[in-house]
Amino acid sequence: MGLFDAQINELRASIDAWQEAGRLVTFDLAGLRDWPRGETLVLEEDCGLELGNPSTASITFLMWADPGVVDGRKVRLVGPDAGDAGGGTIPFAQVIVAGGEFADEYEAFRDLRDTVYDVRLEGFMPRSLPSRQTTWCRVSNAALAGGFSLGHLGAALVDDIMELDNVSGAEVLFVTGSVIEVNSLSGTAAGARRVVDALMKMYTEKNFDCTTCEYKDVCDSVMELKDIRRKLAEERT
Amino acid sequence: MILAVSGKGGVGKTTISAIASKALLEKGERSLIVDADPAGGLAMALDITPVKTLNDVRKEIIAEVKEGKRDERDLAVSLDYLLAEALTERGPLAFLSIGRPEDAGCYCKVNVILKDAIEGLAGQFASTIVDAEAGIEQVNRQVLGPVDYVLLVSDTSAKGVKVAETIRDVAKKFAPSAKCGLVINRARGADDALAAASRTDVDYLGFVPEDPTVREFDDEARSFLELPDCPAQDAIKAALSTAGLI
Repeated sequence: MGLFDAQINELRASIDAWQEAGRLVTFDLAGLRDWPRGETLVLEEDCGLELGNPSTASITFLMWADPGVVDGRKVRLVGPDAGDAGGGTIPFAQVIVAGGEFADEYEAFRDLRDTVYDVRLEGFMPRSLPSRQTTWCRVSNAALAGGFSLGHLGAALVDDIMELDNVSGAEVLFVTGSVIEVNSLSGTAAGARRVVDALMKMYTEKNFDCTTCEYKDVCDSVMELKDIRRKLAEERT
Repeated sequence: MILAVSGKGGVGKTTISAIASKALLEKGERSLIVDADPAGGLAMALDITPVKTLNDVRKEIIAEVKEGKRDERDLAVSLDYLLAEALTERGPLAFLSIGRPEDAGCYCKVNVILKDAIEGLAGQFASTIVDAEAGIEQVNRQVLGPVDYVLLVSDTSAKGVKVAETIRDVAKKFAPSAKCGLVINRARGADDALAAASRTDVDYLGFVPEDPTVREFDDEARSFLELPDCPAQDAIKAALSTAGLI
């Protein structure tokens, strides 16, 4: 059992549906690891494409699971790639699932999250607002002209995540097709957020009074969280 | 290069900041323009209506802290996002306004966020201009810590020059590597400006004459980014050039 079993099952069902509809592309990562790293400020006048601008749909979330659930490296896309989007602003979802042996779930969350935050590619400017689970990215005209693909971003994300201790797999899903397709992940995103928020509360507040906790429903449905809570409560006493 | 424009209230800091912004725009360099005066005059002078101010960002970050669900890394990442929302862009210029706090109380927290914003953002731009609040408050609170040059603006009055000198002294204490230079604004002529500048040992960069074109733009609330060639603009460019800023 894992923290995100329900959400990962929902995600798999969405991916299967997109696959059946012929909407899903899986990148061959072999030729996508050469995009230069670096921080770039992309102003409007240099921007060739905006992904997840605050005026459109945007979702980002991160989950993790046992090695058997996620193995290897996969980057998938539903919708147009950066160079095929025709410029302007398009909706955007970025979903990351890591697989591995995580002894401490809270440490795992922070390591994975920080790794995702730290991925910087030249000509690509990401901004994230964790409380709203949104990400707003700009791709420069120069990057588009140079052949930038979301596959480059996905490859960088999975490669960096795979460098973390005990990680055995990483999958990234990008959705750029439509507002409806991006928003179809909102329920899964909200569920993942509730799990992460409950986890953070356990570790930061050390409050184990379930009767008053706003995340009681989450812990009641996620056995793994109950185990973590029991372990933390025992450590405290 | 981070340039702060400071001086006594009413001496024309905002007009000089606006015209300096235009000079940077013409240079084609990516520049960050910060309206650090809660009155928001620079936004008006550039005909910019910010959708979000630093004060709005402050309120959102405080709300996140109060919620208690985000650690420092999340808050830092959130700040980057919210600042990006607060930027208004005009070609290579990006504009950020401190805003006017609606709630009572001091601006300390806004100023701390302003400092973070200047430090974090300025490094990504070739130049930054900060139209500072009147007086020494922001310098005193080390809001202008990372500034490279403090452009002190005064009219020909003894009081204006004295305030400029005081700001220079405070800036030396809190931003020791920052250079300072004095511009005498709305002078009737070179002799008038020199007489005013002779009251202090602050480096004198030049004077800006009274200019009907500037007054017309001011009266009609037109954007100074569209200011045609005029004596005041030439004088400000000359002063910035003397200071090695353009």
